[in-house]
Amino acid sequence: MSRAHPLVAAATAVLALFGAAARAEPYLAVANGYKCGQCHVNPTGGGERTAFGEVFSQTTLPAQHIDTGTDVWTGALNRFIAIGGDLRYQFEAQQVPQQQTTNEFDLEQARVYLSASVIPDRLLVYVDELVAPGGALNREAWGMLWSANHTWYLKGGQMYLPFGLRLQDQSAFVRSVSGISMTTPDSGLEVGYEHGHWDAQLAVSNGTAGAAPTSNGKQESLQLQFVENRWRVGAAANFNGANADGSREMYALFGGVRTGPIAWLAEADYIEDHSRPTGPGGQQKQLAGLLEGNYALARGHNLKVTYEYLDPDRDVAHDQQTRWSFVYEWTPLQFLQLRGGARLNDGIPQQPTQHLHLYFIELHGFF
Amino acid sequence: MHHSLVRRYAVPLASVLLAACAGNGDGLNSNGMPAAPGSAPNTPLTANFQSIQDNVFTPICVRCHSGASAPQGLQLDEGHSYALLVGVPSSEVPSRDRVKPGDPDDSYLVQKLAGASTIVGARMPFGGPYLPRSTLDIIRQWISDGAAPGTPEQSAKVALAVTATSPVEAAVLERAPQQVLVAFNREIDFSLVNATTISVAQLSEDGRAQPIPIGAFRAVEGNPAAVLLLPARPLGDGTYRLVVRGTGPAALADLSGNPLGSDVIVEFSVDGAP
Repeated sequence: MSRAHPLVAAATAVLALFGAAARAEPYLAVANGYKCGQCHVNPTGGGERTAFGEVFSQTTLPAQHIDTGTDVWTGALNRFIAIGGDLRYQFEAQQVPQQQTTNEFDLEQARVYLSASVIPDRLLVYVDELVAPGGALNREAWGMLWSANHTWYLKGGQMYLPFGLRLQDQSAFVRSVSGISMTTPDSGLEVGYEHGHWDAQLAVSNGTAGAAPTSNGKQESLQLQFVENRWRVGAAANFNGANADGSREMYALFGGVRTGPIAWLAEADYIEDHSRPTGPGGQQKQLAGLLEGNYALARGHNLKVTYEYLDPDRDVAHDQQTRWSFVYEWTPLQFLQLRGGARLNDGIPQQPTQHLHLYFIELHGFF
Repeated sequence: MHHSLVRRYAVPLASVLLAACAGNGDGLNSNGMPAAPGSAPNTPLTANFQSIQDNVFTPICVRCHSGASAPQGLQLDEGHSYALLVGVPSSEVPSRDRVKPGDPDDSYLVQKLAGASTIVGARMPFGGPYLPRSTLDIIRQWISDGAAPGTPEQSAKVALAVTATSPVEAAVLERAPQQVLVAFNREIDFSLVNATTISVAQLSEDGRAQPIPIGAFRAVEGNPAAVLLLPARPLGDGTYRLVVRGTGPAALADLSGNPLGSDVIVEFSVDGAP
């Protein structure tokens, strides 16, 4: 057995100060009692990892750390510039009743991150670029100014909005129905507060989800979260007045708790869309929910079971949809994760596509 | 310890989740909306916009593409979809229209649904299931046919436009064309078709235009939205300009009298003609 590099040993010691073994993404934060900004340069999570997040992902996350005999990769090119990236490549099969089963290899995404701490710990400029598949697409590009005591920040540019759990699965009901995910950044300003157990964000943005801005109104997102070591709870509200046909209001309750080896995540979203007058009150009311358990079977191994519920129109009976996901995540080495699983949709019998069964094996590389 | 955890949490949890099952669809149509008493189920998918709306956009796309936060501003519910698709530049690739009437290969909608290498971002529908080839072929057919709206009300909202010509803009032909084709997005008033509203001229080196006499203007059998021009004599080597008048008293118009709105000019060359 090779001896650990001194830097790795030091990094592991630092991590040990913050918590026990951890796994990935929002459930990782729950499992360890971290805030999102512990591992990501973005205080609301996602994208480039901090030096802490990089070390964590190499020393604590994988089943085995291969000692390369060199310094631990932290993403830092120098004192000011850091880079990172994610690549997800998968083979998936889709089964839909009355349709031929399809299967294909698919480059889901390749992203690169670049940050410049032009004034270390105070002023950060950040870019998140989706470089494949297809042409390059900017996801985030913003600048963020921290207060001297690192309690307040002001962020401006194109960004993901604060609303609920920042899940990796962008097709989850709570993300797709709310329309706020890591596929739908918006341009605007965000004021954030990070102090002790609390964090809060208020964002004002165009509200057009990537389309040309309008002068009809703007989108306001407010989120408040309390983070304890074993549990957390948050609430979010969103009002979008950018559509000339009517406004859209959304409310979310979300949280997480750690019970032994299981990290639980939950979110419930309620949406009223006045631009879609399907209901008797001249609005469409939707309800979406998620409950997820992440069972840490062993270091580098995670079993994720997710149940999702969607009522696409509260004024219509018998139209609910559900989705179960069973995903096994194995992180054998630093920078490498293999994921495999199934997502089983269920819905009304009249619509075959609501009965999609999706099976996938994914290679996830990250640095 | 783990077994006790399972008993303690998983069993009650499973009971709650099983109580929140998918709907049985009683009294609903295939779009998940209450079916009118005695109404027929949705008709099979055909190359017609209303059919595509009922069978694809509404049941599949609207979950995400609706309301104020529709991705890329693309609302695909029935009240918005046509106006935001046809002839509208895509947000992700602004040089390409979401639907370019007459040209499915150059329509971004088709490329996104097919997962073409030219797209930006994810293939649609996001996360699947992707549309079967047969469905995609029908959408392509609708676009090839001119991407006409499904109802007269929707049709009236869309300006008359030239959707395709043959020869196409900047074409260099080795053989003289026997005919020139102009296609529109809906039926035109054929009584307005003459050498003034649709003309072909040969351009001299100094830029002057010499009109080419047209022997006949013919409607295309089975497609009242297209016109054939038969030159009175073969087109020799040179550069030609096709002009379709859309403004002024000699403007071409549809059956409702709606003019084209602007002149359409297409230039092509013949090189190597006998």
